[in-house]
Amino acid sequence: MSISGNQKAIMMKEKLNADFTKKGVFTGLFSGFTWGLNSVLLGLALSMIPVMGENVAIFAIPLAAACINDSFAGLWLLLYNGGAGRLKEVLRSLKTFPGQMVCVAALLGGPIANGGYLLGISLAGSAYALTITALYPIVGALLSRIFLKQQIVPRVWAGMLLSVVGAIVISYVPPEGVNSETFYLGLLFASLAALGWGAEAVLAVFGMSMIDPKVAINIRQLTSGLFLAIVILPIVGGWVVVSQVFTLPGTLGAFAIVGLAAAISYLAWYKANTTIGVAKGMALNGTYVMWGVIFSVVFLKSPLTQNLVIGSLLVVIGATLVAINPKEFFKKGEVA
Amino acid sequence: MADTLPLRFRMLHYVSTVKKASPDEIMKALKPEYGTEKQFTKKVFADHLLDMKANHILEDNDVELDDKGELLIYYSINDEGRRLLKKYLPKGWNQT
Repeated sequence: MSISGNQKAIMMKEKLNADFTKKGVFTGLFSGFTWGLNSVLLGLALSMIPVMGENVAIFAIPLAAACINDSFAGLWLLLYNGGAGRLKEVLRSLKTFPGQMVCVAALLGGPIANGGYLLGISLAGSAYALTITALYPIVGALLSRIFLKQQIVPRVWAGMLLSVVGAIVISYVPPEGVNSETFYLGLLFASLAALGWGAEAVLAVFGMSMIDPKVAINIRQLTSGLFLAIVILPIVGGWVVVSQVFTLPGTLGAFAIVGLAAAISYLAWYKANTTIGVAKGMALNGTYVMWGVIFSVVFLKSPLTQNLVIGSLLVVIGATLVAINPKEFFKKGEVA
Repeated sequence: MADTLPLRFRMLHYVSTVKKASPDEIMKALKPEYGTEKQFTKKVFADHLLDMKANHILEDNDVELDDKGELLIYYSINDEGRRLLKKYLPKGWNQT
């Protein structure tokens, strides 16, 4: 092989890896876009549930919705994987340690983080709880740095920070004041949510170095849905809500569509995390806050506020900083 | 016989048993185990390899052009890949 031929081969390989990374960046953005869609659709589906009293509204309805969301997503993914001939892979993966770690990731990201998020909002108020939970990409990046030894360049840190600030600006609502003794407990639960989502991504990425992301996300959704259904819903009285939803075909259909959006979004998120690393994957997924509000403005005619415009701008600048990579992946290849 | 491994896991394991391997060589070696499955396509194998390279458990330093001028990448396992296999390869599977 002549030197020029070999050089051409190296250039072709570098282009292949760069294209693969680019695809990962778009997949990450797509996961944010579809997650924003999922949030808005979930809001619509929730409004179709009949009024069931204040106590049910605080915990039972949101957790039942999370359970239906994850279970439907798990079923859609079973169909998808079945069609692609990967059903056997689900069982094969569950028999291995990396596959079992994906189950642990599911519990951290599903019941624990979602539960913490809901409890945080109800005990500490949205202003504080949403601000704390918006930090989850930073938690994920830090954990991936420590446990997966993933390198994060200063540009990505800066972009992620801008995106997080943007997300906080978008979701900011004036605080109602510290007026209860449960306030700090609420902050603790909100922190648990950020930690849970961050840890989920890191554990899942560890697992996915040895198992297929498309299979991993199927395991994640089914584990989360089942655990919520069997363990959490009986505690919070959520089965009343689930049975109510099942008697209303329109509402059930709406939740099935919500679950489809969740399946697509999570599939993209897991794939992006494993292709471009947790820090970038999470930062790009974090653009969902912006997408969610844009969908609300366009389709639900929500007012376009100053906070939304400024926050979205910060998210876009931040995501661009995270995504655009001046040849750093080429360098990585040479060092390795 | 040990349980069948998930395809990505098995690919990593196979690469650990040879000095280097191209996607075609890996497919040929794993055909008896996975050949009848719908996921047994070159596209799927290439994607697994690119992901494992991105996760720094495989290397792709050995490249050349084939007779048709198309890129041929030979993947090899690195220390991190070996460490993962040593720790998490299920019983019944040998790491050589």
